[in-house]
Formats: sequence, C-alpha cells, structure tokens
Amino acid sequence: MFSKILIANRGEVAIRIIRACKELGIHTVAVFSEIDADSLHVKLADEAVCVGKAPASDSYLNIPSIISAAEITDVEAIHPGYGFLAEDAHFAEICESCQIKFIGPTPENILLMGDKMAAKQASRKAGIPTIPGSMNVVEKKEDALKIAKKIKYPVIIKAALGGGGKGMRICHNDVRLIGAFLTAQREAEAAFGNSSVYIEKYIDEPRHVEVQILADQYGHYVHLGERDCTVQRRHQKLIEESPSPALGKKLRKKMGELAVKCAKSIGYVNAGTIEFLMDKHENFYFMEMNTRVQVEHPVTEMLTGIDLIKEQIRIAFGEKLKVKQDDIKFEGHSVECRVYAEDPEYDFRPCPGKIVSLNLPGGPGVRVDTHIYAGYEISPYYDSMIAKIISAAKTRKAAITIMQRALDEFMIAPVKTTASFSKTVLSHPLFQRGRHSTAFVDQILEEMRHIK
Amino acid sequence: MNIKKVEEVVRLMEKHNLNEISIEEEGLKIHLRKGPGGEILEKAVRMQSPVLTPHVETAAQAPPAKNGRNTVEITSPMVGTFYRAPAPDAKSFTDVGKTIKVGDVLCIIEAMKLMNEIKSEIKGKIVDILVENGAPIEFGQALFVVEPS
Repeated sequence: MFSKILIANRGEVAIRIIRACKELGIHTVAVFSEIDADSLHVKLADEAVCVGKAPASDSYLNIPSIISAAEITDVEAIHPGYGFLAEDAHFAEICESCQIKFIGPTPENILLMGDKMAAKQASRKAGIPTIPGSMNVVEKKEDALKIAKKIKYPVIIKAALGGGGKGMRICHNDVRLIGAFLTAQREAEAAFGNSSVYIEKYIDEPRHVEVQILADQYGHYVHLGERDCTVQRRHQKLIEESPSPALGKKLRKKMGELAVKCAKSIGYVNAGTIEFLMDKHENFYFMEMNTRVQVEHPVTEMLTGIDLIKEQIRIAFGEKLKVKQDDIKFEGHSVECRVYAEDPEYDFRPCPGKIVSLNLPGGPGVRVDTHIYAGYEISPYYDSMIAKIISAAKTRKAAITIMQRALDEFMIAPVKTTASFSKTVLSHPLFQRGRHSTAFVDQILEEMRHIK
Repeated sequence: MNIKKVEEVVRLMEKHNLNEISIEEEGLKIHLRKGPGGEILEKAVRMQSPVLTPHVETAAQAPPAKNGRNTVEITSPMVGTFYRAPAPDAKSFTDVGKTIKVGDVLCIIEAMKLMNEIKSEIKGKIVDILVENGAPIEFGQALFVVEPS
C-alpha cells in the first residue's frame, strides 16, 4: 500500500481523504493556501505545506506549487478530491511524468469525457442511449432547421464548450429557432471564445439520475447503484438520495449495466459517475460522465457499505477489485443535504465570516462530513458548501424523518445557511412522494415568494 | 508546468546555435543562457498565474522588527528546495553580514528540477539566514532577515 499521499484539495473532501488514509495506515500531506492556515484539514494531516496565496489559481490550482510540495514531502501519490485539479488531464499527466500516482482515471479518460461532444459520441458508439440531436457542431442555420425537424420540438441549443447555462436556448418552433441559433452562437463566442453550438432534444422537467462505477486496472467493473440528484437550484445540487424513488428494480439493473458498459468501452479506471437525464416516461439518456469522486458519494457508501475513497486508493495502488457485482447489496435508503453558507432569505447570497457557535447533528443514522468548527472563519475565496449531512435508514420515509431531525439539531451562528430551506424541501408533498423534477426547487421558491 | 516548453526552447537554441534566448507569453517567461562550455547556465522560468479575485499584493516581505532592530523578512515565493549556492561546490550567493542591493541573487529554489533564482527586492544587510542548505520550503516561509538600509 502507499506509504504517503498528498491531498491536493481543501475543506470537507480533504478531511474525507485524510480519514481514509489514516484508516489504511497511510501518512498524509495537506496543502493549503495562506488563508487556510487554520483549516481543519491542515490540523488533521501528518504534514502540511503552504502552496500559495488565497486565490485558488495561486494555490489549489497552482500545479508547480502542488507538484513541488509533493516532491519535497516525497509522496507516492496525489488524491485530487473533486473540483480544482481533479479533472485536469494536464495535471494527471504531469503527476505521471513525475512518477507520482494520480489517484483517479487516466489522462486519456479525463480528456475524452471532458469533451461533451466526444463523450456523447463515445457513449453512442457503446450503445448507450443519448439525447437525440446533432452528431456534431451545427454550423449553418439551415442545418439547425433540418435537425429540429428530425428530432421534433422542443429543442435546446447548447454551446459545445459551455456550461453554466450560457449559450443555451430553448425553442419550440421554426420561427424562434433561427434567431435563437444565431444568438446562442454569439453568446457562446463571448462566453467561451468559441461559437460552436450543437442541438439536442429538450427534455422538459427531467430527473437527474447518476450511476456510480468502480473499475480496477485489470478490467473489472462494478456499479454501485444510482443516486437521484434532482433537487437542484441553478444547477447546484442541494439534496441527493440513493436509491432513486423514480427507479424500479428493472430500470435500476438496466441503467447500472449500461453505465458499466459505457465505462468499459472507454477503458475507464478508478471511480467515476455516469449522469443520465430521465424524462417523464422513464426514458433515460446519457448526459455526461464525471471522471472523479463526487460530492454526494456518501449516500452510495451508506447504502452499499463500501468505502469509495479507500477503493480509489486501492485501485490506484494496483490492487484488484475485491467486490463482485453480485456481492453488492443495496440496503435501505440514504439522503444527503448539502449545507451552503448562503442566505435563502436574500436570494442565496454567500455568507462568509466567522462561526461563533456551532452544534453538529448526531445520533443513529446520521453522518456529518464537514470541515467547519466553532471559531472557524469561512473565507470568501472558495465555494460556499460548508457541510454535508447524511442520513440512512431502512426506508425512504425513515431516512427523510431522520434528516429532518438532524437539520433541527444543526445550529450555527451568526452565519446563515441553507439548512432551513432544505427542511422546507424535504417536507414538501412532491418530494415526499418522490415525484419531483429539476424544476421543483424553483417551484418552491415561487410558492415562498407568493406567501410573502 | 511547461517542462515540454522549456525542452522545446533548448532544442531551438541548439538548432540555431543561440547563446541566449528569452521568451515571454501570457503566464510564462523563459530565459535560458549558455555558459562558455555550452552548458545551460541560467534557467529562470516564472509562471505568472492570473489573479482571479482582487487582493492586496504584499510587497515582498513585511513584518518589521522583533528585537528592536529595524528588520524585514524575505519570504519564499514558491514551494521547493532551498540552495545557498548555484552548485554544490560553488560559493554561496550571500552570507550573514553581507550587503545586498536590489536585483542581487540571494538563493536558488529548486522546483520540479528547475532552478529559480530568487532576487532581492530591497537594499540592506543580511542579519540572519533562517533555512538550512537543501531544506524543503513552503510558500511564504521566511528565508532571510535583512536590515534595510
């Protein structure tokens, strides 16, 4: 097993990785920016190296600094966590060339799945259903019209290099399409420096269901079931659960097998997640693949009893996957609430600042993954997620009840958080019935505004 | 990190029989110079990361005096290994008691097999050297104590 690992991340995921390393008897090295000197992950690691000033580009994204830190502490491997350099193929390559094991997939895996169109083409080739649409970038408005006719309205125009809702336009007819097509191209050029757009069928009020897979270096693949991440606000996940209330046994088996097929077809190694969009008629389509461990991995761990971070480390070390698909049991139900330091009363504006008092939930069926402590200063330089509260029980109803109780126990001052809003979501009849879609949070916010 | 770029530049030098080459592009500055024996003498590669959020640039090195004397600390701008001299058997760049001026090379910090010369941004006298030769250093670590003149 590795004797020393550097964690190229911060916050709760850095602590998560340190915990797995400690349990495996691996010596840990933390990196931190100047402003994170008092961070919990620095306190918990065996060694810590300051890698730069507060801005992520100077520190957590500063490849020379991080590789240097790895070299002076003589580590054997780097775990990138999620975000930051986790899906940076260049960084993965540099680790390889410096003989430091990158705990994750190969640079080729990362590159392929990082390109949305290439990822879609690869899945299509592997026989995974993909959202009907253009095979390539759409150059001319005449082609746009042809494609829209073929796949039928409504359609969505998306930037090939895009994200964050920019360069996206939904159209319901030919009249709208031309104008939208040209506008989307201009927006894409302005936002991403590239006007390339493609067209897909627009799936109205979809559900977001993703499947976790693990693959070792010897061609063994397993899936660990799905997670439902439909509760989102502006494409930011708020609540996740496993299993998905929208899936029956047959659909679960089918999606799991297809996810494995997808990963196998590109020779994927280590942990990964295939994201699907599901429409109202149980049709599902490949959306994208995340070539890293994800924020919401705990719900899968609670359900299957498998420690995903330890598996990542073992796979990277060259061990064979011990668990077989038939051994994996999905017991009960797990829900996760992400807690953001944002004020729901003021359009979720971020609330950095010092935490004066804090009480974290506990008791049976509760797990808390966090880096915050009383006296800790939440800095404005990084994302606002400060904790994940996870519940697990025999049934979905029980898991929700435990989560509501846990959210009541979560007390923090004077920082404002989204904990109370999550409670509102959990008690909504649509969520309780498991009938919600990605439009759900906006609906609730709309209802709340009306009540005001 | 642009090891490949540096290698490319070295190849360019060999190909066109150049003695010195300086290349600058966004985020990267490479300066290579050949010594009389043809060996690459001076290698300085500086990565300038784009600043995403505005923050106050602290001019080199801040806190004044601990023991009544007016001193400042020169801190490390990068992570790496600290060397007092350009080569194992060469003379140290500077010593305690020596006077330094702006632009003087104080030490080398090796990062990813590249030697980075750390130049002084102040004028004064070296009062203390806080790090051992060959020791690993982190960003912001105090290296020299200087009495500015």
